[in-house]
Amino acid sequence: MRPDSPLVGQIIAAHGGGAAAAGELVSVEVDRIYLQDGNSPTVARLFAEYGVDRVADPDRVAFVFDHSVIVPDRDMADRVREATAFAKRIGARIYPRGAGISHVIALEEGWYQPGSIVLGSDSHTCTGGAVQSLALGMGASDIAAAMVTGQTWLKVPETVWLRVHGQGHPALRPKDVVLEVLRVFGQRPFLYKSVEWTGDWAASLSLDSAASVASMGVELGAKCVFLPDAPGRGDGLVPIRPPAGAAVLELSIEGLRPRIAMPHSPRNSVDIDLAAGERIDYVFLGSCTNGRLEDIAEAARIVRDRSVHPDVHFLVTPGSSRVYAEALRLGYLETLTRAGALVTPAGCGACVGTQGTVPAAGERVLSTMNRNFRGRMGNPDADIYLSSPLVAASAALIGRIPSADELVCHVDR
Amino acid sequence: MWTGELKVRRVEGEISTDDIIPARYKHRFTDPALMAPHVFENRLPGLAATFRPGDALVSRDIFGIGSSREQAVSALLAAGVRLVVAPEFGRIFYRNCWNLGLPAVEAAVEAAVETEKSALPAEGARVALDLTRGRLTGPGVSVPFRPPAPMMIEMVRAGGLLPLVFARTRPPAAAQAHQDVEPSQTTPVGPQGR
Ligand code: SF4
Repeated sequence: MRPDSPLVGQIIAAHGGGAAAAGELVSVEVDRIYLQDGNSPTVARLFAEYGVDRVADPDRVAFVFDHSVIVPDRDMADRVREATAFAKRIGARIYPRGAGISHVIALEEGWYQPGSIVLGSDSHTCTGGAVQSLALGMGASDIAAAMVTGQTWLKVPETVWLRVHGQGHPALRPKDVVLEVLRVFGQRPFLYKSVEWTGDWAASLSLDSAASVASMGVELGAKCVFLPDAPGRGDGLVPIRPPAGAAVLELSIEGLRPRIAMPHSPRNSVDIDLAAGERIDYVFLGSCTNGRLEDIAEAARIVRDRSVHPDVHFLVTPGSSRVYAEALRLGYLETLTRAGALVTPAGCGACVGTQGTVPAAGERVLSTMNRNFRGRMGNPDADIYLSSPLVAASAALIGRIPSADELVCHVDR
Repeated sequence: MWTGELKVRRVEGEISTDDIIPARYKHRFTDPALMAPHVFENRLPGLAATFRPGDALVSRDIFGIGSSREQAVSALLAAGVRLVVAPEFGRIFYRNCWNLGLPAVEAAVEAAVETEKSALPAEGARVALDLTRGRLTGPGVSVPFRPPAPMMIEMVRAGGLLPLVFARTRPPAAAQAHQDVEPSQTTPVGPQGR
């Protein structure tokens, strides 16, 4: 790949799509496909309905069981069983319950290769952009068709570049920056497009942070995202340099402080001091956006030798079994548990109301996940706020949203 | 593809696929008929029970953002929805609509009031859709839109993506149940965009 021309076009061309211009419809070869457990039962049903029992290449297909891990319902249990049987029948790779969230596993296990095309039956598949994979979330029919044919159809998207500059508040985290991008620009400049993050800020992020930023591409409305080459991101990546004359969106984060997305949209974020003091009943740390080792390390650092507020339910769900085991080995899970957090097996946790703690009516949840749509966690009468893990862990200690000043003393620990 | 009259059902505000069908149901059921009674239940309680075959959802805001769940489309279809009109759509929802044979039409409903001297399609209004010419019409209503690519129309006529794809990979008789019309062998198969 070359650094100075849109990555999406180069990847499409390398997969049989030719040198297509933005807006053209092309057919491309697909390198890998993964499914999550909310859609794999439907895909199994589609295969049965159409009398198909074969996939193009079972070694390139994975089934991940992440949304219902400790299965809370008999209907869900039956679906998990159907999907497992189907995966075995077609010979696909199975990541069982407890292995983790599909997008976290995909990055750890090398399912996203730089320059590859990966389809996932989940909208946060765009996480693959952290290592420059053209990773696309799709619905069950698209996934079924690609499983059978090894191909998919795409409309070549336009590319928009995004550059962040300036020095933020010491407690500012990548999650806050994405929330700020969404507040400032909304979805319109990104809708259906390929978003390339350029500049020093994007190149300074750790791999975990890059994955966090890439995962929220779908919140921006983007088709796919790409982050630049940087230390720790693996081989085969290129720097990102907008071509001369390209449209580059600029965002200054000079002095920017942590942000809180207010109910019920990630677009609704405010400066932390405008939300400071709001009572919080329940803190959820996890998800494909903020359930990686770095996130759990930060939370452990905040709560070390302290106690979770007696009125707060603090739920921590590592993003994968690998994250879980590392966090265990490094003592983070012990620290969190001693402080009073409830650590669950790896997976999506309480993110989408399919398992884990469903909030009560009137409860206020501060969560590190990526979207806070009404009812997202299983109860439309709960209010969900979003933040970084730093803010979330701090709130768990004091039972309310902290101010920026309160965070600074935590940052210095 | 639905060829009968369409009845306008207005929905207001930004709509996510979580609003259309909460995640829990797609983990419990694969049969869209079992999900249909729950569409919009968090956002617009009671609406599901009023849907009838031939309903056309008309929105002035972005529609179908968020999760990739195709069940948001299959549940709407099972509830009777036969057309969705909005100025813009969540990418995956849009693609899923066409893949399942539900036309999703990007139309600036509000702008049409000025430029076309059209009324806003009111709740309950009867309208007709001309996909090929790109127009939604009814008494006092005339909303233009960019016609979708011919292959998108082809796919909707065939009942969706899979009837086309699977018709090629196995004997036609088995695919027949899913088709209203015979797909042309030369037409490229695809979700048409996004
Ligand atoms: S963690 Fe949440 S957002 Fe990510 S895949 Fe799971 S349910 Fe979806």
